[in-house]
This record gives sequence, C-alpha cells and structure tokens, in this order.
Amino acid sequence: MQQVWNDIKGLLTGRRASKEVAKGRLHLVLAHDRTGLDGAKLQEMREEIAAVIAKYVTIDAEAVDIQIERVSRESTELRVSSPVRNHSTLS
Amino acid sequence: MGKAIVITSGKGGVGKTTSTANIGAALAQQGHSVVLVDADIGLRNLDVVLGLENRIVFHMIDVLKGKCSLQKAVIKDRRIENLFLLPSSQVDEKDAVNEEQMLHLVGQLKKSYDYVIIDCPAGIEQGFRNAIAGADEAVVVATPEISSIRDADRVAGLLAAADIPTRLIVNRISAAMVKKGDMLSKDDVIDILALDLLGAVPLDDEIIATTNKGVPATLEGTCPAAMAYEVVARRLNGEVVDDVVHNVGFFARIGRAIGLSHTA
Ligand SMILES: Nc1ncnc2c1ncn2[C@@H]1O[C@H](COP(=O)(O)OP(=O)(O)OP(=O)(O)O)[C@@H](O)[C@H]1O
Ligand SMILES: [Mg+2]
Repeated sequence: MQQVWNDIKGLLTGRRASKEVAKGRLHLVLAHDRTGLDGAKLQEMREEIAAVIAKYVTIDAEAVDIQIERVSRESTELRVSSPVRNHSTLS
Repeated sequence: MGKAIVITSGKGGVGKTTSTANIGAALAQQGHSVVLVDADIGLRNLDVVLGLENRIVFHMIDVLKGKCSLQKAVIKDRRIENLFLLPSSQVDEKDAVNEEQMLHLVGQLKKSYDYVIIDCPAGIEQGFRNAIAGADEAVVVATPEISSIRDADRVAGLLAAADIPTRLIVNRISAAMVKKGDMLSKDDVIDILALDLLGAVPLDDEIIATTNKGVPATLEGTCPAAMAYEVVARRLNGEVVDDVVHNVGFFARIGRAIGLSHTA
C-alpha cells in the first residue's frame, strides 16, 4: 500500500523515492562485488570477448558491453552485448 | 555445552557492540547464563557500553599469555544474574591473538555458559577472522544504507565460505523515513542480502541515553529498541516470536482501537 502511494507520489512529483535509487545502485554494486572481478580484470575479459566475436562478425570492439546483474536472490547474470555492424556477414 | 554467536558487520559503527550488550542482557534476563567476549582488541568498548569499565583487572590477552586464569579475567555483572564479560585489551594489537587461540578460548567458555556472544571488530582482516573462529552461528548487523549493506554482503559471503549459519539484524530503522520512501525498509534489506531476519531494531534515542549511563537498554525496560532486542534474544534461543510493531500509522491505530484489524 505504502509502496503504491510512493509510486503515485513519484509519478506526480517527478521525484523518485531515494530508496528506489539506493536499491538500484545496490543491485549493481553487489552483483559486481559477488563476481570478485575488479575493474582491470573486467576490462581484460571484455577485450578478449570482443576479439572472439570479431573473429566471426564485424563489430565495433569499443561497443562491446558487459553487464553484471543480480536477477534473483540466488543468481547473478553476466550479459554481453555487442552491436553487429554488418548484417550480411550473418548467415 | 553452550553456543557461540559472533556479532559482526564489516562496516564500523553500525551497532555491533550495542547489539552484543543488549542481546546479552536480554538473554541473561530470560534466564540463560551468558558471557560476552570483546574481540575488538586495541579498541575495547563493550566494557563501557555495559558500564563495567571500572571493574576490569585482567583481560583476554592476559589469559592467552598465561598471566591469569580465564575465570579471573571474566567479570560478573552485579545488576543481573548470569551476565559476564571477558574484556579485551586496550593496549595490544589485533595480531596478539590468532584463530587457534580464539577457538580454544571460546571452546572453554562454552563449557561454562549457555551463550558466548562475541563482539567482532569492524573490517574483514585478522580481527574478524579471530572473532568468527570459534563461532557456531553469526549475526550480521546492517543499517539500511548502501555502504553498510554492501559490507554486510561481503561479510555474509565470508561467513558462508566458513560454513557459519548467518542471520541478519537491521539496525537504526527510522519508520518515518521508510514511510517517506527515503530509507530502505527491513524487507528491502532482507531481499537484497538474502539472509534470514533475526530482528529489526528501530533508531531510538534511548540507545544513546542508556549507553551514556552504561546500562544496556534491555536492562532498563521498555523502549522500542529494547523490545526489539528482546525479540532477537528469544529468536536466538530458538523461540518463534512475532515482530514488535513500532510506530503504527494513524489509521491502523484507529482501526485497532475499534477492533477492525490486528495488522499494521
Ligand atoms: N538502534 C539505535 N538507535 C540509536 N543509536 C544507535 C542504535 N544502535 C547503535 N546506535 C549508536 O550508534 C553508535 C555506534 O554503535 P556501536 O558502537 O554499537 O557500533 P559498532 O558496530 O560496535 O562500532 P565499531 O565498528 O566502532 O565497533 C553508538 O553511538 C550507538 O549508541
Ligand atoms: Mg564495537
């Protein structure tokens, strides 16, 4: 009930309750913490993955992105997204 | 054979010592024999929170160095039956103790008391490893703030790796701020940390006032935080107890007054 009211208030005032901001930030921070990967390792992994993908399709290596997100209590998901430049290379 | 419970948090200043003192006093009041162990070596505080600072002669490091017997270092709280303190040293360093020594010490205490409650220092270094070494169970204290929850998650991971069953106390909750949406609720924190809840303790001025006096709030009586800690103590003892409902809203209060509902 309180939640609904806060949501309505947020819509009316255009202000998001600060605890919702905190929750979103925590989900990302904890997901990263739980992988035990630091920034340098993550960067290294990103570059390696980009190199593997680039072997098969044309991509912009800089645009390869890794997202780590907690999807539920028990599981954290690692998602790689990479915009493909040229569709004709896909069979 | 008693049970050893470590009170930990990762982040400093979130209420480990306050929780240790209040849970200990509540368990003693509920009829169990309790010894509180201050494992914060070099920064001892549990003695002042309990108001026992003038009674200390020997401390944990003296026992480990063989300067005195364990019985000699343990202080009895005169205000209540069955509450004892093993003080820490204010002059030694954290590495004056190792995990094996702690394990042995806690094992000795478990033979004489129902509950051995260990006040862990902040951080995840040697002091933390010492404090959890002899623990059968752990309690992680977190406040509803990002940095505290993040550190609690880290500590919960380390405790899981050490195979120590862990439950959560959410401390310093302001019902008014939760209502405004400016503070994470106890349920938000449980959900994020994925730990079982042992208790939710409100932000309560009485904690500061009773700490000034050196009397655990649970010995003084009935302030909201004291009631929450009594629930925590009962749950630690395996009893199934409902949450205390703090700061019930206006409509719920009227509803209850006219017998409409029991829930807030
Ligand atoms: N529920 C509460 N309501 C109000 N104040 C509180 C509450 N819990 C703790 N405090 C206050 O917060 C401060 C820090 O508490 P405490 O010393 O127990 O934390 P700690 O985790 O043991 O700190 P450290 O990491 O330094 O050992 C104290 O001033 C205490 O009185
Ligand atoms: Mg402390």
